[in-house]
Amino acid sequence: MPEKPDGGAGKTQGGMAGFGNALKLSSEFIAGIGVGVGLGWFIDRMAGTSPWGLIIFLLLGFGAGVLNVLRSVGQVAEFGAKTPKDGKGSEKK
Amino acid sequence: MANDPIHQFQISKWIPIEIGGLDFSFTNSSAFMVATVAAAGAFLFLTTSSRGLVPGRLQSISEMAYEFIASMLRDAAGSQGMRFFPFVFSLFMFVLVANLLGLFPYFFTVTSHIIVTFALALLVIGTVIVYGFWKHGLGFLKLFVPEGVPVVLMPLVILIEIVSFLSRPISLSVRLFANMLAGHITLKVFAGFVTSLSALGAVGVAGAVLPLIMTVAITGLEFLVAFLQAYVFAVLTCMYLNDALHPSH
Repeated sequence: MPEKPDGGAGKTQGGMAGFGNALKLSSEFIAGIGVGVGLGWFIDRMAGTSPWGLIIFLLLGFGAGVLNVLRSVGQVAEFGAKTPKDGKGSEKK
Repeated sequence: MANDPIHQFQISKWIPIEIGGLDFSFTNSSAFMVATVAAAGAFLFLTTSSRGLVPGRLQSISEMAYEFIASMLRDAAGSQGMRFFPFVFSLFMFVLVANLLGLFPYFFTVTSHIIVTFALALLVIGTVIVYGFWKHGLGFLKLFVPEGVPVVLMPLVILIEIVSFLSRPISLSVRLFANMLAGHITLKVFAGFVTSLSALGAVGVAGAVLPLIMTVAITGLEFLVAFLQAYVFAVLTCMYLNDALHPSH
């Protein structure tokens, strides 16, 4: 299992780790939404389906952002990992 | 303006070059990229050129950097991942040396521009995609299909996984860029307080001690951030390469 980014050096630093975590998690979340909006806008632009692509991909991007955040704090299994039937990856906590 | 905290990030053309209407000018950013590569290369070359069996102080720094990245890559991606060692090591050294060079007063911080970090992140994700498809063919797409998901939800989950995958280079680049940008602006703002307070006379000079202490403390912190961000960049690169090597573990 790959170790979590920031796992060792950041944890012991108190306020600094909080700041680092805030930047890390917010960048994960914003990146998900940003990519969703970008894809939706691009699809609308290409297929002329405005505004449906943007609406649908904004929601998908929101989902992906939440998934990114949960994944980076280790609450959800990594990409392609085998998950148990309940789909929660609870053995990893 | 001496007190403008954004001024330090301005690009200035040193040698204007224009080819076919495109701007290829040699800027201060390019100059510091060259300096970064030269400094990292010269350091590694000179410190290891003596090839001492018992390493000296500087030689052991180089060896520690090597061991550090090698064990990180081996942990994350297995021994197969070692074929990417030159790639990951170069990335780590480039980001680390660029961050550290940026800490010198009046130096330009290459990694505080999102286009630079985004290009690095695209390089990583491009390597993952090209190598993944070359090695596994369409089996690489299994990366987007988690097991144990009901068939009804499958299209939704796959779409979300794809968006999540595409957001990786964005979050990778935004994190490095935001950390460097925020750190340097904070440093500049606190240092600016010192000069503007001490212009107020004796009381101001006494009051300026506080932001001065803060500036010293933040400088120390910035050294930590410079190292930590290079480390995070390298760790995430290793994890993404692991996906390319083993799409379904």
